[in-house]
Amino acid sequence: MSDQKSVLILGDGAAGTIMANKIRFHSNPSEIDVKVIGNSRRHYFKPDGVQIPLGFKDYRRSVKPTESLFNYGVNFIRGEVSKIDVDNTSVSTADGKKFSYDYLIIATGNRFTPEDIPGYDKGAKHFYDLDASLDLKKTLSTFKGGKIIVGQASVPIQCPPAPYEFSLQLEKYLRLKGLREKTEIHYIYPLNRVFTIPNVSTYIEKLFEERGIIVHKMFNVDTVDAENKKLNSIEGETLDYDLLVLVPPHRGQKVITDSGLADESGYIDVDRNHLNYKDFDNVFVVGDATNLPVSKAGATAHFESEYLANRIVNETNGNAYYESYDGDVACTTVTGGNEAITLYFSYTKPPRAQFQSKTDYFFKWTSADTYFSAMVRGIM
Amino acid sequence: MAEIKPTKVIDARGSFCPGPLMEMIKAYKQGKIGDVISVYSSDSGTKKDAPEWIKKSGNELIGVFDRNGYFEIMMRKTK
Repeated sequence: MSDQKSVLILGDGAAGTIMANKIRFHSNPSEIDVKVIGNSRRHYFKPDGVQIPLGFKDYRRSVKPTESLFNYGVNFIRGEVSKIDVDNTSVSTADGKKFSYDYLIIATGNRFTPEDIPGYDKGAKHFYDLDASLDLKKTLSTFKGGKIIVGQASVPIQCPPAPYEFSLQLEKYLRLKGLREKTEIHYIYPLNRVFTIPNVSTYIEKLFEERGIIVHKMFNVDTVDAENKKLNSIEGETLDYDLLVLVPPHRGQKVITDSGLADESGYIDVDRNHLNYKDFDNVFVVGDATNLPVSKAGATAHFESEYLANRIVNETNGNAYYESYDGDVACTTVTGGNEAITLYFSYTKPPRAQFQSKTDYFFKWTSADTYFSAMVRGIM
Repeated sequence: MAEIKPTKVIDARGSFCPGPLMEMIKAYKQGKIGDVISVYSSDSGTKKDAPEWIKKSGNELIGVFDRNGYFEIMMRKTK
């Protein structure tokens, strides 16, 4: 049908999959063709990465085959994007194929760049992908006590609360294992607090104090001396460690920089309320690929998709659409016991760290099931 | 006071915490001793965070200047 519009989505992670499924859910295939280009074999629910190394969750509940998550009518194309040419509405893949579009949605996410920190590869562990989480689990299973440092190697990172959440969960794990008395937990943070947002930071710092977690503020990682087990900061401090759990540096995808859409950071500047790239009204960026001042998190992609999928479906049907994305984010973190806290915030409303609750804990515990059965399917 | 000309100017207006401070730290890492780095920011948190970081890292805070609708933090790399 000649009036059919084509939506091309780059990326098969949370942002790309939610966008594709939500557009498909709200539109007729005769009106909109939805294509997704991606190259991952499995779709991993990343928030479970905090629990998996500590044995609090079985990783098999956190992974699904990528292709199984697309709604009927979404065309998934396995491929690696090699060039994005927004001036000519064209996308190329490494195997030589070319795709055109009416709407382009860039949802290419992050990549880890451990090479940005000398010594990282040899000296640090992390929990930011499944293989790393399982490797850390193995390391912890033989840990007999000592000094553990937890932190992040740079800013920005996905799921900014994860380092403090992991520290609190690690403290619980060590108590259960009878190793707490033999272990010091040190938490490093690049700012003069323990989290970006001051009121949340005050709340978490109190929890750290109660649980004996030692804090090192304004510690920006410079190098890792793996041989001597020392972590060096830009500020000139050095900490010894027996186990270093350090979230690796992140950047956007290389193809973004190579295509001239962003600087070396790989993150794309977009309109903060409409998610357009520059003045292109048919090119959008969602999820971790943006340079927006919001958390890089699946919940961000979910809220962005609420706006963007409805906009594209309405525009295609000739309807006016006046909504916008207002920076909404939600984030639930387990605080160590059988409790969790949830933070809701937007561009204009800072979060309130209200209280820990068992309800939020239940919500967090079942979040992978909710994600796979509803959120990623675009039906919530 | 004679006017100090920055070696590098970072315009981080519109970027929220911790963006401007991280940009300053990045420029510091890439710079050389004696460089003067200026950061323009409209984020109020940076006005407090950046001078604290400059002090902790043992560098020199030249000043925090209110400009028209934003402020400028100027530092000298001394180590």
